[in-house]
Amino acid sequence: MGSRLEKNSASVRKRIEAHTFEDEEGDEYEGSKFGGFDDYFRRKKIKLQNLDAEIRSSSLGNPKIFRGVVAHVNGYTQPSLNDLHHLIVTHGGVFMQYLDGKTTVTHIIASNLTPRKAIEFRRYRIVKPAWIVDSVEAGKLLPWDAYRVLDEGSGQRQLAFESGKIVSQASTLQRGYKDQMNHSWYTSQVKSLAEGIADDDTPPTWGTVTATSKSTAYEGGSAEPTGMGMESPCKAEPIPGESLNPPGSFEVTSSLEDALMDAAMEEDDARYQLGKEGISQRVETPREASPVVTTASLTGNSIIPGSPSSKPISPLIQTETTPHKRSSKLEDVSPSKKARVLTAEEHNAILLADPNIRKSSTGNPEFLKQYYSESRLHHLSTWKADLKSRFQQMAAEKSASQKQLSKPKPGSRCYIMHVDFDSFFCAVSLKSAPEYVDKPAVVAHGSGNESEIASCNYPARAFGVKNGMWMKGALKLCPNLKVLPYDFPAYEEASEKFYEAILDVGGIVQSVSVDEALVDITSLCLAAGGSAGFGLSQGSIYREQEKADSIAQSLRDRIKNATGCSVSVGIGGNILLAKVALRKAKPAGQYHLKPEEALDFLAELSVKDLPGVAYSIGGKLEEIGVKFVKDVRQLTKDRLITVLGPKTGEKIWDYSRGIDRTEVGQQVVRKSVSAEINWGIRFTSQAEAEEFVQKLCIELKQRLVDQRVKGRQLTMKIKKRAGDAPLDPPKHLGHGKCDTYSKSIVLGVATNNAEKIGKEAISILRSYAFAAGDLRGLGVQMTKLDPIKPSSNALADGSQRRINFGAPAAPPLGKEIIEDLIDDPVTPKKPKTSSIRRDESKFEASDDSDPTTSQKPKWVTAQHLDNGDPIHDSPQKPRATPIHPAAAITRSNAADQSAKKFLNLTGTQFIIPSQIDPDVLAELPQDIRSKLMNQAKRSSMSRGQSPATKSRSQSPFPEAPNRQIPPDLDPEVFESLPEELKAEVLASYSSNTVAHGTRNLLPQSPRKIRGLNANPKKTTPTKKRGLLFRGRNNKQEAHSTLTQANFVTNKKDAVEQANDQATDSEDYVSETLDPEFLSALPEDMRQEIIDEHRRKRLAKKGGLVAPAATRKPRPSEPVLPGQRKLQLPPRERRPTFTTQQLTTLPQLRDALSAWHEGFADDGPHPDDVSALERYLKRVVLDELDMEKVVGVVKWLEWLIDESNESNESNGSGAWAKVLRDIKEHVQSAVQERGLGRLEL
Amino acid sequence: MASSASASASAPPPPTPILNTALSLHRTLTDFLTVAIHTILYTRSLYPQTTFLTSRAYNLPVHQNRHPAVCAWINSAVTSLTPLLSSNAAKRVVIVIYSPQLEVLERYIFDISRFPVISEKEKLTEFADETRGMSNITDVEEQLRATIRRLEYAGSKMAPLPEKCTYTLAVELRDEAEPPIGHPQPWVPSEPSLQTGEKGESEIIGRDLGGVRSTPVRLVAAGDFVLEAWIEEGKAKFDGD
Repeated sequence: MGSRLEKNSASVRKRIEAHTFEDEEGDEYEGSKFGGFDDYFRRKKIKLQNLDAEIRSSSLGNPKIFRGVVAHVNGYTQPSLNDLHHLIVTHGGVFMQYLDGKTTVTHIIASNLTPRKAIEFRRYRIVKPAWIVDSVEAGKLLPWDAYRVLDEGSGQRQLAFESGKIVSQASTLQRGYKDQMNHSWYTSQVKSLAEGIADDDTPPTWGTVTATSKSTAYEGGSAEPTGMGMESPCKAEPIPGESLNPPGSFEVTSSLEDALMDAAMEEDDARYQLGKEGISQRVETPREASPVVTTASLTGNSIIPGSPSSKPISPLIQTETTPHKRSSKLEDVSPSKKARVLTAEEHNAILLADPNIRKSSTGNPEFLKQYYSESRLHHLSTWKADLKSRFQQMAAEKSASQKQLSKPKPGSRCYIMHVDFDSFFCAVSLKSAPEYVDKPAVVAHGSGNESEIASCNYPARAFGVKNGMWMKGALKLCPNLKVLPYDFPAYEEASEKFYEAILDVGGIVQSVSVDEALVDITSLCLAAGGSAGFGLSQGSIYREQEKADSIAQSLRDRIKNATGCSVSVGIGGNILLAKVALRKAKPAGQYHLKPEEALDFLAELSVKDLPGVAYSIGGKLEEIGVKFVKDVRQLTKDRLITVLGPKTGEKIWDYSRGIDRTEVGQQVVRKSVSAEINWGIRFTSQAEAEEFVQKLCIELKQRLVDQRVKGRQLTMKIKKRAGDAPLDPPKHLGHGKCDTYSKSIVLGVATNNAEKIGKEAISILRSYAFAAGDLRGLGVQMTKLDPIKPSSNALADGSQRRINFGAPAAPPLGKEIIEDLIDDPVTPKKPKTSSIRRDESKFEASDDSDPTTSQKPKWVTAQHLDNGDPIHDSPQKPRATPIHPAAAITRSNAADQSAKKFLNLTGTQFIIPSQIDPDVLAELPQDIRSKLMNQAKRSSMSRGQSPATKSRSQSPFPEAPNRQIPPDLDPEVFESLPEELKAEVLASYSSNTVAHGTRNLLPQSPRKIRGLNANPKKTTPTKKRGLLFRGRNNKQEAHSTLTQANFVTNKKDAVEQANDQATDSEDYVSETLDPEFLSALPEDMRQEIIDEHRRKRLAKKGGLVAPAATRKPRPSEPVLPGQRKLQLPPRERRPTFTTQQLTTLPQLRDALSAWHEGFADDGPHPDDVSALERYLKRVVLDELDMEKVVGVVKWLEWLIDESNESNESNGSGAWAKVLRDIKEHVQSAVQERGLGRLEL
Repeated sequence: MASSASASASAPPPPTPILNTALSLHRTLTDFLTVAIHTILYTRSLYPQTTFLTSRAYNLPVHQNRHPAVCAWINSAVTSLTPLLSSNAAKRVVIVIYSPQLEVLERYIFDISRFPVISEKEKLTEFADETRGMSNITDVEEQLRATIRRLEYAGSKMAPLPEKCTYTLAVELRDEAEPPIGHPQPWVPSEPSLQTGEKGESEIIGRDLGGVRSTPVRLVAAGDFVLEAWIEEGKAKFDGD
């Protein structure tokens, strides 16, 4: 709100508030002149303000809460314009009937704004009328922003205050007519009126009863939240049959129940509408419900006065009459109370504490399995999919013979049957309960209010009960509805018989559902007609139709006999017509929609009767004035396409003309495979959620494998509890009101690998960072499916070609290899495999597909592991000197790993994976992370070997190192020797290698050194050889003798070598200054080291050039990666006092105090004095801090004065003299700086 | 070498960042000097104290002259410092108070000789070592606040100035720096008695430097922002007594 607005509105307000009305003599009451509309209008406004002035003067008693408010009302409001006007004016506000400009008012009151106005007024205070009403009620001006009409858009987060903190929250503005109605002023007026009436009925109890009910509700919410939350679902299920066997006072009770149900429903609705969980709202709800209840009770009263039915006004009593309802209400209420204290996770944890609930939610590890084995929907869909695939197979089997028959020429007549059971589930279920055949009956999973009706028979339909309806509604329509349970085996059996019969017909079958199929009987009919489906021979057409009808009839009879249930058959020239005909055929009949009547028949249908048209499309069509199919025909195709989109539009246009080009048996290519669960999802931790996602991916993988496809795109669907939804949804463990999020990623290659999918899915889940407790549904879906070629036999789970490195070494694909280097000394095979495996993965190019060779090194190196283990210090070791290069290399590899094993520097007995997910790493505690990092470093170092060395580990002479064949022996020859000869040869060699074995612990080969030279930093331990690492790296120090050789080729190292060997270690320190080490040093030492370091580095940089660069004020620094930073010269060290390096004034004061105290009697020692004087002089001249000097001197002066005052000690004179001396010194120092004397 | 400033108004600079670039150092300094000049003008009663408004700087109540011309002069003088700072020419910034006879009475010296020397091109480059423990601007402000406060205190303790004194802003340049000559020339050479340099030729040169009595104000050592402030009182001030 700009000041411009304030200015304008303030001036208007002042003008109007100053406006007084004396009498009707003013100029505004004169007649206006011809054409003087402006004048007229101005006068009109003045007259309106005259009215207001009168109102204002007559309502002086009211608090002037709207002072400063200039309001205008826009559009329809509740309370009305008139009432609002009155309210505003009587409470000190100014009301503008005409909006002369947006800035003339401070607030615009509207319930709703047209989109255009919403944009126009976006930046103004648009307030709901409730603001006025509530403000008047509260007796003060409430903050208007709680009553905004416009917000910043649904996604925009806003700052708000909540319990003293600023929070950012998404705006959850609710709007809509219902909202207005519930909050409306009139409603409350009516309510209070109704309450007044109710009060008359039960005057003594009402107030107190409400009070207690409130308090119990609160206690129930806070004190025993778990019990309520968990038991109530069971309670909420009404006892089946209760409503079928009503008590004596049926009439009253049922109407009451209806009323209560309405009330409950309204309450529910209200909750959703408002989306608030506040107490006030909860307290409100019974009140909101009361008008309905009251009317019910009033009618009750009129019938049976004084009966208990008059009670339900109060919620508590209501519960007495209908206990289960009460409990269900409580259940609804208590969680919302809990929400104030509990997080979603805690709530879930409490919820899952109940073993029953735990079992039926994700808390149960077997949940997924159980879910899929019990879920009806899943059952149905998989069943259908099963059937479908079965029939597709059957069709495929038959197709060979049918192909020529089933492909009639285009344009020929067709006969399609649509066969469908009449209320399949219900009919089958009724077989076991035949007494209800003629009574309304439904199939549902229970008679609870929340159970959904899966199927209902025709008597039930007569009551208006429909499939998919909720039990609550159905019971209302038909109270004595019989609820039948599911009977899947029976369905399966019936379905099987059904399909058997259909298949026997011999046409092309397409299964639509378990109880529904399309059959193309064209070939049969045409055969009967004796024509090719062309021509207009009346006889043949007639014969064909006759045949079709007879086929249908026989099919119906057969199914009726086999299953005891009736089916209906619709016959038409295409699928559309067959489906439409089926509508007419039902129940238990058949109808042949002949081509000549098809158009007329269709024309009379409502568009929503067309297959594939329901609310959405129907609604759109209705918008453009289309209700019946014939209306569609009036539209052009283009028009339809613009309204409905290219595909649907064309389809509807075709449908309206009876055209349907789809063919029976057309195989719909599967486009996606998914696994999704939206029920029972209750997690208490993120880990649980991720584990679940992983399991879901395994399920998905299974389905992918079943479908023999792989997907390239993964879509993760996440349902998150909506911000305003209660923690417990109305349906037990259901998902309730949710925000749905979905995200897809395209995988590089098609896969059906559960682990890979799982990894991606989890990362998507993480990317949303939802609280695990708020998750309500999870689904993974693979799209962009590629069929698995039958040829790629075993590799059904990965499309990327892989090089086969031999079966034994290959671990299960996709499995992360866990290197077990530390803990598995018994089976040295294992570490070996992995190391080779790792080599392979790194150097896949080194193709070695011979399984036998890959076997060998495995064993070999395993042996090596033992030999090379430094802990053994076996006498064999020194023998290694003159060794085959390959041996050396393999050995060095082994040494690396064995060193790892020996030292176990990680300090943990746990297996540490070699490849660490950085995400995971970031989550770990610091100490574990550092260990991991160390390990990773070491392993990467060991891996940093040149490729040559690696590939050599797979060399054809892998066994050589094991035996440590001397290099001058041909290993092949050696190998061919008998065992004892080998031993002899080796023994002879070992004797002469012992002597110089220590020198070259790691035997060198020219190859190797080149490899190392390429990257000397990594392999040489120089980096680690800081002072602090000395002891630890003893073992590796032996290598350094080897690395000396490298210096020759490295320019930098050459410089180092030129340095004295004695300064070797220092050199290393300076090369990489360890910050930790540095920080442990005292300031000046650190400075020294840093200086030294810099000097050396500069010297090195310029080769051996004189270090002139350091004298530059700002030495140019080597360019660092990333942003360049300016290296400032080190600051001059401050002069310090005494050996304790005192610099700051407080330190100096303390020192002086101690000094003075110690020598108060004897007088100071001259050396100390001169030290102080020197220091102070340096401060003046070098540190340039005269103020500190003054501070020090003054402190000393004070100390002396103090001691003088307290006691005349003999040292005081000496001290005074010292002080004078010091002062003189300071003055001279100041003078040296060229300044005037200090005042000391 | 000292000079005085001519006027050219400029917009107030954006808020100072932490002291990790040369630019931020200079900006902090100029801000500080602006406050300091106003404070001196107030405490030394160079303008009637009623012409000052209280304002807030470094979380400290300070006084600011409300005369637009005075404000403009101070701003422009301080602004003209910036080129000298960025070319590393300035060694000290001095506020000189003259008697009506143009004798030097007091000098307020802000010694910035220990500011890091950074070439102008690098003025936006961050310092490598995290401003040496002065990463928080409030730590810096704390010291600046103390300096202003002490300046105020020292100023109020000194003997009052005679009527109709005047003042100027002068800059002492580093020895190696080139004098800021050119067009436009915001800085002019100061009187010989306040010029540094060889004293050989004349008695007058540098006569009024140093003064008779000095009063230390404070050393600000905020990372690389090292500034010593002190007050010199000239001979002329005590001659009258």
